[in-house]
Amino acid sequence: MLKAAAKRPELSGKNTISNNSDMAEVKSMFREVLPKQGPLFVEDIMTMVLCKPKLLPLKSLTLEKLEKMHQAAQNTIRQQEMAEKDQRQITH
Amino acid sequence: MSSEMEPLLLAWSYFRRRKFQLCADLCTQMLEKSPYDQEPDPELPVHQAAWILKARALTEMVYIDEIDVDQEGIAEMMLDENAIAQVPRPGTSLKLPGTNQTGGPSQAVRPITQAGRPITGFLRPSTQSGRPGTMEQAIRTPRTAYTARPITSSSGRFVRLGTASMLTSPDGPFINLSRLNLTKYSQKPKLAKALFEYIFHHENDVKTIHLEDVVLHLGIYPFLLRNKNHIEKNALDLAALSTEHSQYKDWWWKVQIGKCYYRLGMYREAEKQFKSALKQQEMVDTFLYLAKVYVSLDQPVTALNLFKQGLDKFPGEVTLLCGIARIYEEMNNMSSAAEYYKEVLKQDNTHVEAIACIGSNHFYSDQPEIALRFYRRLLQMGIYNGQLFNNLGLCCFYAQQYDMTLTSFERALSLAENEEEAADVWYNLGHVAVGIGDTNLAHQCFRLALVNNNNHAEAYNNLAVLEMRKGHVEQARALLQTASSLAPHMYEPHFNFATISDKIGDLQRSYVAAQKSEAAFPDHVDTQHLIKQLRQHFAML
Repeated sequence: MLKAAAKRPELSGKNTISNNSDMAEVKSMFREVLPKQGPLFVEDIMTMVLCKPKLLPLKSLTLEKLEKMHQAAQNTIRQQEMAEKDQRQITH
Repeated sequence: MSSEMEPLLLAWSYFRRRKFQLCADLCTQMLEKSPYDQEPDPELPVHQAAWILKARALTEMVYIDEIDVDQEGIAEMMLDENAIAQVPRPGTSLKLPGTNQTGGPSQAVRPITQAGRPITGFLRPSTQSGRPGTMEQAIRTPRTAYTARPITSSSGRFVRLGTASMLTSPDGPFINLSRLNLTKYSQKPKLAKALFEYIFHHENDVKTIHLEDVVLHLGIYPFLLRNKNHIEKNALDLAALSTEHSQYKDWWWKVQIGKCYYRLGMYREAEKQFKSALKQQEMVDTFLYLAKVYVSLDQPVTALNLFKQGLDKFPGEVTLLCGIARIYEEMNNMSSAAEYYKEVLKQDNTHVEAIACIGSNHFYSDQPEIALRFYRRLLQMGIYNGQLFNNLGLCCFYAQQYDMTLTSFERALSLAENEEEAADVWYNLGHVAVGIGDTNLAHQCFRLALVNNNNHAEAYNNLAVLEMRKGHVEQARALLQTASSLAPHMYEPHFNFATISDKIGDLQRSYVAAQKSEAAFPDHVDTQHLIKQLRQHFAML
């Protein structure tokens, strides 16, 4: 890293971005630093994976209507059953 | 004022204003004056009109679009023998979605359902969560994309809809089907149509409800397939008689016969009827029904061709375009699906399904800010529910609009209709917490997700990762085991388990888990790496 900086004196702080107006010049002055010498270390650490965030699917109108009807139907049936149970208890 | 109104007119007015219960009640009153409740008196046209109106009102109360309804029960899924090829070529079947993944993001980015399809942006009754391989898997409802799949066969759902309305009327059903002289009705085309719709939509399966419940407890699934057919046979008989009466010239009756055959699971017969109807009169509906038959027969390519044929006759028809997009989506061909959804939006720019699907596609292809636009559009259109706000919150967070994120999630939580939905919102909130580095909050969020839905496999997995960070190996392992048994189709728990086991030196278990992970996600590089490493270890031994 140090070597690369030394090779390119323009990066060692000689030219600061004082002239912001001249973008083209600034662009040409800054170049990426790609060290071509020296060993390269890549340490591959096995990390654990999180499950991904989950967008929830929207429901179609038909599905919503179906679910609503289900709910209503089940409620009616439950009420009916409760009423029957109550009656049975009264008669006993 | 209303007391002076002519009752039939008032009933009509109720019907038009969709106050069906009032309409039906009024018609009942009118019919009570006539001695023959069962059959309309031919001499009194008013009674006949009231009778038809009541039938139609009762039908409308439980009407659901038959095209949209294609929910398979477990019985149908497990015992399906309609597919033509048992080992279809890749790209010609809806059952092997993994084989032709084109254009979509990988599984590492977009979560998948139990069937190995990427999760969709829109849930329809027929959104196939795929065919599970085993009965055990089938009974365990897929929680990854929560659907209301009935445990019993599809008739189970129909039962409960019709029953409720029957319970509320003290004198029993409006029309006693077993006493009906179908031949007589088929002579009167107008009456017959109303009667058919009534039988088909309203009566459905009332008779078999008790039978069905008993069977469910006994666990005899095959029997379920057979017992749903009583009433539909009535509908079918009526339709058959009527089409005979019209000398096979009425396409409408042919479509209805096709619908009955479809419900009875006789797909080839249904296909014949629909085709014949199409020859007489080309209708969009008929194309859609026929395509549904082909999808049930697992012939997506034929269905696609049919849709394209339909588009020649009806250029730019939204439902046909949408049908094509759905099939492409089910075949995992995301790029083509997105293309057709865009085509849909060109014709109808308020199409919720298309907007939602394109939005989720953008989100999972790393463009949350574009997805945010689509979801915002939905909000502007007036959709107001928990799912939408949850999606908005996620998009906001990943598009770095932090001001809106938490408010969206708060609203999603307050709008959540059931615990499963709330669990999913808490789960996503956990991700936000992980994203800002607040592990304590994340921990609490995932815990809350589990409180709301004890089968939330993803939350178990993420909780395990957090536990592992704290160094609690045993807890993490237990959580991962739970996660992998709940959702064997996800690769993450398997892979994480393999990693942990590898770390603590349990190489055998690590290898087993890694192989499961590879089966769930063959292209996962880290898994391949791990397996290679383990093989080397074993070779050295």
